[in-house]
Amino acid sequence: MTSLWIAFITGLTTGGLSCLAVQGGLLASSVAHRLEADVGRRNGMTHLSRKASRRPARLSGRPHQGVVPEAGADAAQPILLFLGAKLVAYTILGFLLGALGSILQLNALTRAILQLGIGVFMIGNALRMLNVHPMFSFFAFEPPSFVTRAIRRTSKRDVSIATPLILGAMTVLIPCGVTQAMMATAMGSGNALTGAVLMAAFTLGTSPVFFAVAYSATRLGKRLETTFVRVVAVLMLVLGLVAIETGMNMMGSPVSVSRLMRAAVGGRTTSAASDTLPPSTDAPQVYGVTTENDVQELAIEARPDGYFPPTQHAVANVASMLTVTTQNTRSCSRAFIIPALWVEKLLPETGSETIEIPPMAPGTVLRYSCSMGMYTGEIIFDR
Amino acid sequence: MQKKSYHIQGMHCSMCAMRLESLEDDLPGVHRASASYRRQRLDVEFDETRLTEAHLVEAIRALGYDVQT
Repeated sequence: MTSLWIAFITGLTTGGLSCLAVQGGLLASSVAHRLEADVGRRNGMTHLSRKASRRPARLSGRPHQGVVPEAGADAAQPILLFLGAKLVAYTILGFLLGALGSILQLNALTRAILQLGIGVFMIGNALRMLNVHPMFSFFAFEPPSFVTRAIRRTSKRDVSIATPLILGAMTVLIPCGVTQAMMATAMGSGNALTGAVLMAAFTLGTSPVFFAVAYSATRLGKRLETTFVRVVAVLMLVLGLVAIETGMNMMGSPVSVSRLMRAAVGGRTTSAASDTLPPSTDAPQVYGVTTENDVQELAIEARPDGYFPPTQHAVANVASMLTVTTQNTRSCSRAFIIPALWVEKLLPETGSETIEIPPMAPGTVLRYSCSMGMYTGEIIFDR
Repeated sequence: MQKKSYHIQGMHCSMCAMRLESLEDDLPGVHRASASYRRQRLDVEFDETRLTEAHLVEAIRALGYDVQT
């Protein structure tokens, strides 16, 4: 559920802006043709010459964004048709990508690598948009010319309900950078339905921006467009860094920001049990750990906002039984992974799951996280 | 038919390339327009008897892009 919200919010913010920069022209075009036809009808014209109506706009210097002669109630229909078709197309795409991911059976490590790839891709795209260096232009997706030609020709067809529908569906052929990252996430989900719902949530998130801009007939002049692109680039840069951070967490890497921060604050993040138990002694039963028959019992609580305690200490060279409990946990913390042990568990919403951990060498830090790399924790075998 | 290549400034996504390629449909005299965002380049094939290069450059600038001839 959390991942759906993230997808929706991503769509609502960077996704909406970024997609609008790439696909806004198609939407504006379908709305413009409809309104031009309406204006023509109102003026008693039986046929609207496309060439005659296009040329003045074309040479006006702002032919591509928000070419809407008059925004009114009539504008809503083509916008909604466009956005509806876009939603359906991307949901189907998400389904197919999720299905592909399930066929490929992506494990936690592969998903982590994919996540890191997404991060690199987003950062590269952000740097491209900020014109940092020409080499970053290779991060841009350029559709083949026959695709762009088909899209262009369709956008200039005569007015009909089919035009915004076709153009909306065709946006899958020109995904923006954020959309491509979301597509990779949908594939990484490894489930067709999850992929479909993720892409649907993301596309729904982008819709208000599209609708607001198109309906109010805002014209993105060149100067405003440049500023707009820079804002998107900075947001993409942040999202790219977040993707790298989560990818690192999913790999169990010690160098993620959240883990470095936890290391920086040190002992203050040790287990809650340590607060309630007597101070450390020679006995191994400190930090909430109990041992019996050479097996120590460890406990983690998977809460909606993360794992608790985030850090706990355990006895080295002793096998462990780790019990992860949940209580009305519906966030991604339910999807529990320990990359080093190749452990992947989907915990019940309420209940517990026990995981066997072999004896670990002294000084070992066993890192775990949710499958999205958002929530992390670690067990330090130093007793 | 004349072929010209221009370095275009101000393209920031592949949609910009598509906009420039629309000259092929919209500007009489342009036979073929092929733009690349990656290369920041526009290759145009046009009929010089119907369109002067100055008008072509003007049309590109009217789309909001800077041209280096």
